[in-house]
Amino acid sequence: MTETIEIQLKKGVLGLCVLALLNRADSYAYEIASRLSDAIDMGEGTIYPLMRRMQSDGQVETYLVESSSGPSRKYYRLTDAGRTALAAQTAEWSAFTQAVDAVLASDANTIQASAPQAAEAQPEETEQ
Amino acid sequence: MTRAEFIARLRSGLVGLPTATAADIVADYETHFADGLAAGRTEAEVAAALGDPGRLARELKAEAGIQRWRQEKNPSAAAAAVFAVLGLGAIDILILLPILMGVVGTIFGFFIAAIALFISGGGVMVAGPFAGFPGGPFAAILMGLGLMAGAVFIGALLTIVTIWLVNGVVWYARLHYRLLKPALEPQSDTLSEGTSTGGSL
Repeated sequence: MTETIEIQLKKGVLGLCVLALLNRADSYAYEIASRLSDAIDMGEGTIYPLMRRMQSDGQVETYLVESSSGPSRKYYRLTDAGRTALAAQTAEWSAFTQAVDAVLASDANTIQASAPQAAEAQPEETEQ
Repeated sequence: MTRAEFIARLRSGLVGLPTATAADIVADYETHFADGLAAGRTEAEVAAALGDPGRLARELKAEAGIQRWRQEKNPSAAAAAVFAVLGLGAIDILILLPILMGVVGTIFGFFIAAIALFISGGGVMVAGPFAGFPGGPFAAILMGLGLMAGAVFIGALLTIVTIWLVNGVVWYARLHYRLLKPALEPQSDTLSEGTSTGGSL
């Protein structure tokens, strides 16, 4: 179950992470994939379906850059819709993490302060 | 897995897509291998980090099907999109199929009724004036036109409902696919993973 939550969380924030990376600088798929696989330990192959989805959603667009070695490279950059999506998802993400942090903090206090019953009752509330 | 094996399995998974789209996708992964090798990794390492090519192909295919459905609202694009997202295994087919069959059957029935109404309206309009229609030839023509207009109206309404239904299925599948079936874990435990999470929600 823990693994499932972890995977779902990662999958959910993957799009947000890509938007954030591209907001800093235009990039190409291999670079995005290797940076994200280091940071949040995701399968690198996932990046291509995701980039395609974001492209068809109009959040990113591509352009080719001539390369000194080998064929020209496909770069991704954010569109206005992508920046809007980034702002909206960032707000959602911080509201969500703050809420979870608040619940976890009060949970930790209960565990320290008193009986194990209180600690057992807590997770039921956090799931909602 | 070597680079050639990975690309071959990816290609065979992408069969059915337009050639240009498939070639574009394969080029993306070829570049990935080239970049990985340039960074000092072996082909096997890159392939392992990429994940299962068959599953990536299914996801890419579904994405392409959805994109096509957005661009052209016709029956073949609708069927392609629905079958592609069903292929993801994100929708619990056993639950969804009976409901879908009922809804699709109903819509189909209404379509046939609309067509029949249109034809009979045309018949009344053409044949009515000569068959001694009560109220005179003019009333017959008007009634025929009325029936045909009604049939066109029903047909238009059904088209809207059908488009809405396909959008609904696609939206539902993407939502669940995104949350439940990421290409993170190796292929061996994908089946148990999918069914256990699907069952618990």
